[in-house]
Amino acid sequence: MIAVGVDAGSRAIKIVLMDSDTRSILATGLVKQGVNSDELTSHLLDCLLNECALNRDDIGYVVATGYARNRISIADTTITEITCHACGVHHVVPDARTVVEIGGQDSKFLHLDPTGAVHDFAMNDRCAAGTGRFLEVVSERLGVGLEDLGQMSARSSNPAVISSMCIVFAETEIIGLLSAGAAPEDIVAGVQNAIVTRVASMAGRSITPPVVFTGGVALVPGMSQALERLIGQSVTVAPNPQMTGALGAAILASKQA
Amino acid sequence: MSKCSGDKQVKAKNCDPCSPPSVDCCSSAVTTEQNDSPTLWFENMIDNCYDYAIDAKSNSRPIVGIMCEYAPRELIMAAGGVPVCLCGGSAKTIPAAEDYLPANLCPLIKSTFGYHITKTNPFLEMADLVVAETTCDGKKKMFELMAETKAVHLMELPQKQDDSEAFEHWVTEIHKLKAELETRFDVQITPEKIREASRIMNRERNLRRGLAGLMKADAPPLTGRQLLNFKSIISGIPTDLEKYEEAAEILRSHSRNGDMSSRVRVLLTGVPVVHGAERVVDIIEESGGLIVCMENCTGLKPILEDVDLNAADPIRALAKKYFHIHCAVMTRNTRRIDYLRALTAEYRAECVIDLVWQACVTYDIESYQVRRLAEQELHVPYLRIETDYSPSDSARIAVRVEALFETLRSSYRTGQPCRK
Ligand code: SF4
Ligand code: SF4
Repeated sequence: MIAVGVDAGSRAIKIVLMDSDTRSILATGLVKQGVNSDELTSHLLDCLLNECALNRDDIGYVVATGYARNRISIADTTITEITCHACGVHHVVPDARTVVEIGGQDSKFLHLDPTGAVHDFAMNDRCAAGTGRFLEVVSERLGVGLEDLGQMSARSSNPAVISSMCIVFAETEIIGLLSAGAAPEDIVAGVQNAIVTRVASMAGRSITPPVVFTGGVALVPGMSQALERLIGQSVTVAPNPQMTGALGAAILASKQA
Repeated sequence: MSKCSGDKQVKAKNCDPCSPPSVDCCSSAVTTEQNDSPTLWFENMIDNCYDYAIDAKSNSRPIVGIMCEYAPRELIMAAGGVPVCLCGGSAKTIPAAEDYLPANLCPLIKSTFGYHITKTNPFLEMADLVVAETTCDGKKKMFELMAETKAVHLMELPQKQDDSEAFEHWVTEIHKLKAELETRFDVQITPEKIREASRIMNRERNLRRGLAGLMKADAPPLTGRQLLNFKSIISGIPTDLEKYEEAAEILRSHSRNGDMSSRVRVLLTGVPVVHGAERVVDIIEESGGLIVCMENCTGLKPILEDVDLNAADPIRALAKKYFHIHCAVMTRNTRRIDYLRALTAEYRAECVIDLVWQACVTYDIESYQVRRLAEQELHVPYLRIETDYSPSDSARIAVRVEALFETLRSSYRTGQPCRK
């Protein structure tokens, strides 16, 4: 039987197909989020099944997670991103005790116990300042692609200080910095620092190593270094960080199948 | 099953005090049709109160608005008045309030004041007097603005709960309110009248405690939201008291509801959840939780203690009961911690959820002590939710609540799906 994990996030839908018995990953796929997440999910799932020469009858159990999890009709159950990311990260980095996840619109901090269970968590509320959305805003403002932000920030010698806690005000601050002649690379580096500062503030005082960084934003070069500098600890980027939520969902599904 | 009454008439609709009471159509708790008269009665709570207030007014009884549990209702009743709670639970009136008040202020205060500005709370419009207290700064300063266009009597609430001089001051404040009511409404408030009002209020509190106590069962016969609905913005309405009694009888004979025993038992603490602002309660219960204990001003907090009917001085007895309310405006507010400790055990809560309205500084800061109690002493998970009346963060709140329950159930380790 096949276990399916669907992570219907704010920016992308991710799917992991897993063999329920061996827990080996059969396929992973990603599609940009759109108006109809349910249809997009079904389509992506069928493509992946096709690749593996499987069909829907082979599916034992489907777990959906992510902000659109309740809209996925093929799901047998839903489990939150918090539990799924914890499970996915524990699978790829078994000794992880702290998980920092930064996605398109939210960010979270998870403390795991040695067995991988969630001990405690924090997550951003209404505000998007500590999330990938902030990077999108700066890339739009500066007219550079998201993928180029990492190289830019690496060139910065004097990161700008972005003090606004609110993304809307921060955008105004960026405009101000630009007109005051700040170098774009310093602004990018400043934004990266602002994101990790914001996220780290959710963690409280104690951050137990090892720290694993996951979620789509972990892919942006420069972010894990910014995080390391801020918390003063080394940070491991999860392999395939965009997929850990879907992976966790697939593992949880395999336990049900 | 409870009936969906989407076409329900709300008599006070032109004024929409708190938007029509919403009806839970797919509730799984027991309210069988032949037996749901108390449920239906309280679903029409706003209408009932409206009728009662209109009737009282036509019999020349004064309507007295209150906005806090420190307001001694018994004294108002002893003056022949009708105490009605004016706390706003609607987001709709907030923009109007923000013309006067800062945006960064507790939504409860803004909503209440918004009703005043837009003249859309019929009870506030009817009110002959508003009794106010110096509780939190936001309310205190809002009352100043309200007093420009409304008769407001301000009681100075001392905030050192353990200090005997503070208590004496509170007794004086109650005497001043008595004098104000007597002059304004040309009545004599006798000790006997206070005792009679205290008797009625003790009975009301006792009946409501009885209903709340049903939640101690393994499988309670109602949800936390349904319990929250058994409440009235006017105290001491005789029919309300009958209905509380009836409800307890019906529900007691129903004390088996299998579904309820599998839910996560939640103790909800923090700020009041006033009529119309029940969003977080609904999110918690839709995510697989059951609020077995609501330790706030719309739950147990104001009804835990009664007025001593045998006290030689009924005014002091009143003062004592009210001064004991463990609101976060008190310092040090150790009674709250003591009650939380006791209630968590009594109601066998598996977690503590602490609701804080945005910009409510006192409850916000006290969260620290509540978290410490929950995590370090009671060893139950703690979740703090800070929000206001706008629903934009509902999905996020649901994720956090569900994740809390998943963590508690560790469903992924035992192989049980946490919910379908
Ligand atoms: S929480 Fe405090 S200020 Fe608010 S109603 Fe209760 S006692 Fe009054
Ligand atoms: S919730 Fe807090 S800020 Fe709002 S009225 Fe009550 S005590 Fe004041």
